[in-house]
Amino acid sequence: VEEGSRFSAQTLSVLAALCAEPRAWRHGYGIAKDTGLKSGSLYPILIRLADRGLVEARWEEEQPAGRPRRHLYRLTSDGLAAATAALTAVPAAPAGMARSRRAAVPRRLAGEGS
Amino acid sequence: VTKRLAWILGAGARLLPPGRRQWAEAVGAEAGEVAAGWPRLCWLAGGLWLVFREANVVRKFVYWLGVGAVAAAAAWVVWLTWRTYPAADPLAVTDRVRVGVGAAALVVLPWVGRRRGWFGPVGRSITARLVRVAGCVAVCGTGLAVVRMDSPLFSGPHGPGPFSLSREIAALVVLGVTLAALAVARARWADADPSLLWAVVGLAGAVILVVVPVQALAVVYVAGILAATSRRSPVANASLAAGAIAGLAAGLAATLAFDAAGGDDSYAILLLFGMITMLFLLAAVAGAAAAWRLSGTGDPEELRAARALQGLLAGAVAGAVCGLLVTNFVILAGMVLMVIGPLAGLGGGVVGGAIVADHPPEARPDRSWAAGLFVLRS
Repeated sequence: VEEGSRFSAQTLSVLAALCAEPRAWRHGYGIAKDTGLKSGSLYPILIRLADRGLVEARWEEEQPAGRPRRHLYRLTSDGLAAATAALTAVPAAPAGMARSRRAAVPRRLAGEGS
Repeated sequence: VTKRLAWILGAGARLLPPGRRQWAEAVGAEAGEVAAGWPRLCWLAGGLWLVFREANVVRKFVYWLGVGAVAAAAAWVVWLTWRTYPAADPLAVTDRVRVGVGAAALVVLPWVGRRRGWFGPVGRSITARLVRVAGCVAVCGTGLAVVRMDSPLFSGPHGPGPFSLSREIAALVVLGVTLAALAVARARWADADPSLLWAVVGLAGAVILVVVPVQALAVVYVAGILAATSRRSPVANASLAAGAIAGLAAGLAATLAFDAAGGDDSYAILLLFGMITMLFLLAAVAGAAAAWRLSGTGDPEELRAARALQGLLAGAVAGAVCGLLVTNFVILAGMVLMVIGPLAGLGGGVVGGAIVADHPPEARPDRSWAAGLFVLRS
């Protein structure tokens, strides 16, 4: 990721959720609960982040009883660096965004960002 | 309802390319975790929205609508060649063959390029899809112009001339011999100089253009449109857009100028010269814009070469678009422009690209919006 990359408020919230436990594998519904995003917004963001090599994804290896296998996500090392940089610069990043979008960035971003 | 939505999501996931399918399946796999009722319904609906977006449903639908319009236009023009000529008109065959060859090119060449190759599949960008559909419709428009010019049921003072089977056969023979020679040359002399092969192709093309000009232009333009808008095309999106805009502007101005001249042949050469000059200048602007859009790759020499190439290609696109547009309205001058236009545009594009080629790449925002992911590089 080039220096100076900025992300949307929604993407920042996803990065913040993944940053909370960088080495842990998270599932989509858990991230959705943390960020308040609907599946129709969350998954396209995860796809683009994965396309850019910022997020890695895999299926659960073992079939759990009583539910389907989950698709799991976590930040790559590049993703962690980019997320840390982006979350540190949160006040500056959403400068060009609408007020409502800026407001959507969870307050805890700043605390969890690094 | 949620069960049905889950089933539709599972079925819809199969529409996605393999690399994307797992994401839709992931939404379905998580649905059981979501509280039953409205929340689960919303979750699954989001999954369907994901499938809709990732499968590019709207883009594909609009493109195939455009392809249908091209097919309808081609069928209509072919029907007109039968409808507007009296059955006993001995000259009718000439235009039926001309239009038939153009229609056949519109059917056969996309079929040939349905797999990865020079002619297709179409590029993923909206620009490529728009240019491909609009270009093919314009080719149909030239067929309509031919019918209108030659048909005795319209004003047509220019007769198409009697049908010449020998000319058609001669063109086919030249084409066949050229293709065979190229195949042999590639098989026996793999390290043959490409410029020599291109010279042979150019010479054969010139001969065919003289023998059967309308048919040759129709086939070459259809092939050019498909090649320029295919996924493997060397023409960058910015070059395609810049060339198309410049060509439309030049073509519109030329059409209005020829229309204003009102068929006064005494100024025809002067007017044509003025149009070519204008096209050259607009192509230079398009070439410069296309070259400027290329950002640095790290190697100055590589960047300079890439910029020069995109300038050249944008200019050629501008010339071709101009010629094609004018032919739809002022057929004789337009067909001259269909030949000279791309050459003039190519020259203008080379000049425009060369002016910008040595200009150092400027740091400028490269923004993208994608599914809520906003990236601004500076």
